Amino acid sequence: MMTEQIQVNHYTVSFGKKMILKDVSFALAGDQLTVVLGENGAGKTTLIRALIQSALTGESSDTIQVHTNKLAYVPQFRDLGDDYPLSIKAFVGLGIRDAGLPWLSHEEKERVSDALARLDLSELADMPLAQASGGQKQRAYIAQALAKKPDLLILDEPSSALDSMHTAELVNQIRQAQRDWKIGVLWISHDTSWVKESADSYLWLHDQTITMGPAAELPDGASSKHSEEVKHVL
Amino acid sequence: MFSETYMVNAYLAGTVISIISALVGTFVVARSYNFLTHSLSEIAFAGAAMGFWLGFAPLLGMVALTALSAIAIGSLENAKVKSDNVTSAISALAIGLGILFLALGHSSSSSATGILFGSVLGISVGDIQLLLGMAAFILVLFFLLFRPLSLLAFDEAGLLLSNKKKGLLRIVFLLVMALSVAISSQLVGSLLIFVLVTLPAASARTYQKTIPGLIALSIFFALFGTWLGLALAYMTNLPTSVFIALIEVAIYLLSLALAKVN
Repeated sequence: MMTEQIQVNHYTVSFGKKMILKDVSFALAGDQLTVVLGENGAGKTTLIRALIQSALTGESSDTIQVHTNKLAYVPQFRDLGDDYPLSIKAFVGLGIRDAGLPWLSHEEKERVSDALARLDLSELADMPLAQASGGQKQRAYIAQALAKKPDLLILDEPSSALDSMHTAELVNQIRQAQRDWKIGVLWISHDTSWVKESADSYLWLHDQTITMGPAAELPDGASSKHSEEVKHVL
Repeated sequence: MFSETYMVNAYLAGTVISIISALVGTFVVARSYNFLTHSLSEIAFAGAAMGFWLGFAPLLGMVALTALSAIAIGSLENAKVKSDNVTSAISALAIGLGILFLALGHSSSSSATGILFGSVLGISVGDIQLLLGMAAFILVLFFLLFRPLSLLAFDEAGLLLSNKKKGLLRIVFLLVMALSVAISSQLVGSLLIFVLVTLPAASARTYQKTIPGLIALSIFFALFGTWLGLALAYMTNLPTSVFIALIEVAIYLLSLALAKVN
């Protein structure tokens, strides 16, 4: 049997007396786009952090095993400041590797160009990142992650600041890279409008437990109230 | 001017110091560690005073104390103590100790002025050898750790390292900072550390959009100020650091104005 990319067995986590996740187990294959759903405080970020630390230390425990040679992670927030000097291209090239020679090889430069093209940033490559719009910045963060050519890509609410049209574009761009490279993608999202059509599976964190299944069978309870909340505010 | 050995030595030392300060400064400014360099320079003051007191080279005292403090600050930072407060406490302690060491060593006021305002015109061949050794060490470290240090300074969120390795890298970065502060105190003095470590790097941010570009321009600004400053000091018989400070501040103000225009 092929080993799954992510394997979690009987994982329990709590903050003080508050139980977050109780004895959860699941496994994810390495070539799927999985959406991680759940309300604030359901344990999404805690779970993701545990997976990332396990991947980075390379230590497999009985509870968490992550098999990846190249992990990329796009955090939800980045504090770069208004006078951030680097261009979008330089920013994307920054993340291509964590070690090695100071300069990028020819092949690595091509990966930067490819990542920029995939996120429709080629024409903005020389623009200072600080001058980019919120959506452009978000795409630059994701391009930086894609330039690594990861086999596991973890995204923390990349579309939270985007309108539905730009979210749909981003979903297509990431889906394309995921299919081209046959990699695993874990996408934390509040917005579930696109999940049934564009994801492979879902991982729903609720009531201290995890439910998972094919995205097409996403239960109504897991669908976000995001759009309702937005309507309510409007 | 170059017929005088002490001027040749001063130019040699000034060149090495400018290159290292501007290189390290690029990362210091990117990581918003400007004020930490100032605290480190106060620690350098204590270290140099300790050198005078115990009778070894002030630069060695600076390196020893700043390096120790860098490790302390780094560990406290990793322990998530509010770093501004930690740095205030450490610099208060350092200046107090510095004054104590000066008193204990019965050091002349001229040696104290030398530490605080720089004394490059009196730099010896032995000092230059020590400087070159430290500069080479920093350059090699930067070559080997350029990628992780770039990420740490320019996009820490994108640096995917286990918590342990990240903590270690932070301490290495602080150590390099400490060394470059000690080095650059030789030229401009520990009171004017901003002049070479942060101002050239901050000015370069207006004009450059890549890390190599930032480093190159920062080094150019630092060298320009140092070379011109040394020449002006020679001609006017006034302290070097005055001129370097004025030149670097002028370059910075010009970049600010240009950034506004753009």
